[in-house]
Amino acid sequence: MKVSYFETGRYQAPADMPAIWPMPAAAYDSGEGVRVFRGMIERIALAEKLGFDWVSLSEHHYSPRILTPSPMVAAAYVAARVHTIKIALLGPIVSHSNPVRIAEELAMLDTIAAGRLVVGLLRGTPNETLTYDLNPQESRERTDEGMELILKAWTEPRPFGWQGRHFRYRTVSVWPRPLQQPHPPTFALGTSREAGEFAARTRIGLGVSYGPFEVMEKVTGYYRDQCARHGWEPAPDQIIFRANIILTETDAQAQRAMEVYPTRAPFSLAEGVASALLTLDARNIAGEARSASINRALPINFFGSPDTVVDQVRRCREVIGAGVIDLGFNTPGTTDPVALLDALDLFGRTVLPRIRDI
Amino acid sequence: MANMASVFRDGSVDADGFCIRYQEAGEGPPLVHLHGAGGLRLTSAHDLLSCAFRVIAFEMPGFGAVENQKTQTAQDLATTMAAAAEALGLSGFNLMGTSFGGTVASWMAVQRRDLVAALVLDAPSTIRPEGGEPISGSPEEIARRLYAHPERVPPAPAIEPALAERRLAIAQRLRGPGRDTMLEEGLSGLAMPALVLFGTRDGVIPPAMGRHYLELIPDAHLVFVYDAGHALMVERPEAFTEVVTDFLERSDAFIISRTKTVIYP
Repeated sequence: MKVSYFETGRYQAPADMPAIWPMPAAAYDSGEGVRVFRGMIERIALAEKLGFDWVSLSEHHYSPRILTPSPMVAAAYVAARVHTIKIALLGPIVSHSNPVRIAEELAMLDTIAAGRLVVGLLRGTPNETLTYDLNPQESRERTDEGMELILKAWTEPRPFGWQGRHFRYRTVSVWPRPLQQPHPPTFALGTSREAGEFAARTRIGLGVSYGPFEVMEKVTGYYRDQCARHGWEPAPDQIIFRANIILTETDAQAQRAMEVYPTRAPFSLAEGVASALLTLDARNIAGEARSASINRALPINFFGSPDTVVDQVRRCREVIGAGVIDLGFNTPGTTDPVALLDALDLFGRTVLPRIRDI
Repeated sequence: MANMASVFRDGSVDADGFCIRYQEAGEGPPLVHLHGAGGLRLTSAHDLLSCAFRVIAFEMPGFGAVENQKTQTAQDLATTMAAAAEALGLSGFNLMGTSFGGTVASWMAVQRRDLVAALVLDAPSTIRPEGGEPISGSPEEIARRLYAHPERVPPAPAIEPALAERRLAIAQRLRGPGRDTMLEEGLSGLAMPALVLFGTRDGVIPPAMGRHYLELIPDAHLVFVYDAGHALMVERPEAFTEVVTDFLERSDAFIISRTKTVIYP
């Protein structure tokens, strides 16, 4: 099993901060912002030293929960400061961005990072459709088209035009090229039928997240079936499972943390907006309709003592087939960055060496 | 494309010993179209193109009611089709070839640079990978290779199996090698602007063939039509027509955007 540390930029929000999205800019503390980016390097350097394979970054907006609205900028910063760990962008939001620009920036990053880049291409969470005025009913199609254009932009040797549905370019010719050829390891991120079909057809990996193992099993099973239909079989490290983890010394400690774990997202959309988005933003799990996750806290999929977590990782491999876990470390009751360093250290000492061979 | 689409009317012209049928509509600069191995079938892209051009869609000898054993090569067929265009009084026209018709159009552009003002190759079979097979099989199998989304395409009018077979046979007999040195030399000497289009999901000719045209033709552009199979004109007629019209109207300058992005004045 390969292990990735999901770095979100730990912003220590004061207790009186409103629990809303978008978070008012006036609530921002610039000193805390500076500490976030300084701490980012400290945490990633520790993860690298402990033997984590990847650090992952992702794109979210208008909130202290994840302080990397441009994961490209964060990745360039990390690439220059930390030298062996792979840098996984999981991922840029394709639906609301210029896909050619994404292809260019990722190719730059792969070059800057000396071929250490891993790429996940993302549709985005429902609230992100509000960020740049994207019609939620178009986000699926724009993602599919954007992903195809990014792959084309990396691999076509000569200038080409793109006559799409949502994107039109008359001349595309990306410089620099990605260092890894034909392109960095790339994943479609998502649990939908469309993400699975796209990944299978274009022979890229699939990244799933935050669902119970049995549900994620349906998604990766669908993906593998589609790959077989296209005449290939994905390797284990072409399936990523992103999940939250609460690792404690004893199972009892984790149990107590789970009991107080919130069910509501820390920063929520207004009810009127949330309910309207639910009707507009259609989602599915391997073709089975489901409502979008809005204002709900993300579940914890790994929790307990090191022994228990090792067993859970083993089950994750058996059930989902994931060869990479991408972990968001929770430190119940505190947002202190030091607690996060302790959690990483505990994982690195007690779990990491025991899941290598899973 | 300010004008309304026109109604296509049938015509025929004698040239090079053949009586050649065509369908024509529209006014403006002439646009000659040479069909693929499936024969002449008008699409809504033809209708849309006829808003800006005088579209003349020929039926090449051997692809209609009458057999053609006389023509021996795609070059011969190009000579015949150039004669047909000249017999209609056309010169300095835009030439567009689809799939097998792209091979014939390529030859015509090479042989008759004097006649062809601009060249459009729509999923051309001019350059093919080794081992590439022409489409055959059941209507369902054919549809799967022609279209990215066969379920969205209205069913094609039924044709006699014997005619379909005869069309396939003549296309196979005339299409030439996948890499034709003489033709490629000719393409490298073309002076006219050329536009090559491929669907991103072409199941007959790999869209990666597109880059070879850029290597060969001095003034060529390559455009991918997203989420379309081999039959671009059927599957994405608006996207196809927009870029072809823009290219034919503005030539190389078609890469400069005219899209307005002002939301409120």
